[in-house]
Amino acid sequence: MIALLAVGAVTLGTLGLGTWGVRFARTTSDLLVASRAVTPWWNAAAISGEYLSAASFIGIAGLEMQIGASALWQSLGFTAGYLALLLFVAAPLRRYGSYTIPDFAEARLHSPAIRLLAAAIVLVIGGFYLVPQLKGAGLALNVVIGAPYWVGVAVVAVIVAINVAIGGMRGITYVQAFQFWLKLFAIAVPICVLLIHFGGLPERSALFGEQYPHAGSSGILVKLSAPQRVEFPQAGSFTVAGGSVVHVSAGKSVTLPANVNVRIPAGGIVPVAQGTQALRGSRWSRPVGGTAEGAPLLVYSLLIATFLGTMGLPHVLVRFYTNPDGPAARRTTVRVLGLLSLFYLFPALYGAMGRALTPQLYTTGQTDDVVLTLPHAAWPGTAGTILTAITCAGAFAAFLSTSSGLLVSIAGTLSHDVWPKVRNSLPSGVAARRRHFRTAAAGGMVIPALIALVARQIDILILVGWAFAIAASTFCPLFLLGIWWTRLTARGAACGMVAGMLTATSAIFVGLALGEPTSGAFALLQQPAIVSVPIAFVTMVTVSLTDRHRIPDADAQMLALHAPEGLGLRLADKDAEGALA
Amino acid sequence: MSTGRRRSYVPTALRSPREELAEATAHGQVYMRRLQRAQFGLSMLALVAFGAVFGVLPMALYLIPHLNRILLFGIPLSLWILVVPMLPIFLAIGWLYARRADALDDSFRDLVDR
Repeated sequence: MIALLAVGAVTLGTLGLGTWGVRFARTTSDLLVASRAVTPWWNAAAISGEYLSAASFIGIAGLEMQIGASALWQSLGFTAGYLALLLFVAAPLRRYGSYTIPDFAEARLHSPAIRLLAAAIVLVIGGFYLVPQLKGAGLALNVVIGAPYWVGVAVVAVIVAINVAIGGMRGITYVQAFQFWLKLFAIAVPICVLLIHFGGLPERSALFGEQYPHAGSSGILVKLSAPQRVEFPQAGSFTVAGGSVVHVSAGKSVTLPANVNVRIPAGGIVPVAQGTQALRGSRWSRPVGGTAEGAPLLVYSLLIATFLGTMGLPHVLVRFYTNPDGPAARRTTVRVLGLLSLFYLFPALYGAMGRALTPQLYTTGQTDDVVLTLPHAAWPGTAGTILTAITCAGAFAAFLSTSSGLLVSIAGTLSHDVWPKVRNSLPSGVAARRRHFRTAAAGGMVIPALIALVARQIDILILVGWAFAIAASTFCPLFLLGIWWTRLTARGAACGMVAGMLTATSAIFVGLALGEPTSGAFALLQQPAIVSVPIAFVTMVTVSLTDRHRIPDADAQMLALHAPEGLGLRLADKDAEGALA
Repeated sequence: MSTGRRRSYVPTALRSPREELAEATAHGQVYMRRLQRAQFGLSMLALVAFGAVFGVLPMALYLIPHLNRILLFGIPLSLWILVVPMLPIFLAIGWLYARRADALDDSFRDLVDR
């Protein structure tokens, strides 16, 4: 009940701030990128708030329960991505002054066709990223009030669509900044209170030692909503609804019945649901090489996807245009690195403690719930209930903020880039443009919501990983070469993005068709960045070098990208001077 | 009299870098290219620093499994290495880079405004 109130408060707060912001939204420029008058701290908090999604808030801890310490690479990669963005993209792209990725592609390469290609890729990445947010919402509402999965998906989809349609982005800058602090509070406070309550990490031997997850001193009661095939990693026993004790030997599987209490005795081994894994000893605690997912090749592929993919996420990039100039864009990015470093200290603690304190999640297979259920399981009573309410509210903030940002990008792309192509004209007048944006916001949510309804079985982090891999194989080479290399041509950029896109998506879908193999080179199908990113770069460079249609004003483009502000050299500076005169 | 736009001709030696740039002369391009090279070199330097620390970390942890058996407060050393120093190192590289990059911009501005 308290959890429901907390979730409701977060949602109302988000909607309220969004509505308050709408009063300031006057023109399309306001609607799309706020008004470029936001300070670096506000901006950094807003970027972080938008970025910390379901994957960060609940996904990392859930994955860590299964694959152990190798899940930590995710949080490091998610943060390091901003370093790549800072080093190569932030300041030049801000100076260039395009609103969106398709804008940049067309202006830099003088090709309307490449704008449409970039728009299509924005929609694919946005869609891939939106699905896991909605999935997270479905899971969370199920934990909070026991609502069916589809209710959570539908509720968040509708709230976000309304919020984006009425608020545009001006509202959302402040909403997102608020959401970052809310999320940091919601992930940090409960775990710190628990650590103080226990006087340190409880049952350290269970966290890092030689044991499989096992029941605590009072045993565990599990009530499944559907019959579940489970495996006992070691010999153990269970009782069904007060019946006689059933002994199971090591490595044997049984099916647990639904809707009755299944009891694991005190200190007993916890059975593990099919499709979930429980590890022990160094297999759990080694960051590399302990598991199939932790093989060095896969770790490097993941790090490449996150390091290079962050700069290609449309909802993140659009925020950099709210910086007043290039140096401000750098300052903002450094602050983002700091804020994210702070946040990512905490999810891993939930995963480690969940292994000791909520082992029943291995039996239900819902390890993604650990952040939401840990406080109450660890500390039954009012204190635990309040802490659970806080983590649930934070999780909702994560779903709302990331999906709002994504939907702004999707709607902007639909109404700005795709619609004029289809109708062959730009909508005229501010009112008409705003109406188009709103229609696009509503329409852009439909397909991701439908996919989320059928994608319940796919791990949140796997879905998010695909978005990163596609971004790293398409927009990352476009930016790096477009910003730093004069010889890039429109044809080269198009061929490179198509090659990267095809390699990454076909690997992902073949992997899905083969049932997500986890061994050897086949595992790369799930995390193809280490192959698809080099293919995209090599294609882009070779096609550009053989292309005779060079960009005629490449030097002027470099001036626009790299010349410092305030020298009267840049078109924007001249406009400003003209306005003053 | 001439009806075309009046052009003022300044001897090459007296033209400032700003004029060279604004008129997109060969000299202006050289100034611009020099700034871009300097910025790119700085970014690559930061990238190499990052790679030397973080890029070799997975391989190091893979090749030295012993790090996993040393416990510090009951937690394997490899986890300490992964969680504690890495994020501050990212932040330090980013902060130093941003300072140097702003300084490069400023020295270019000085050159042009001279």
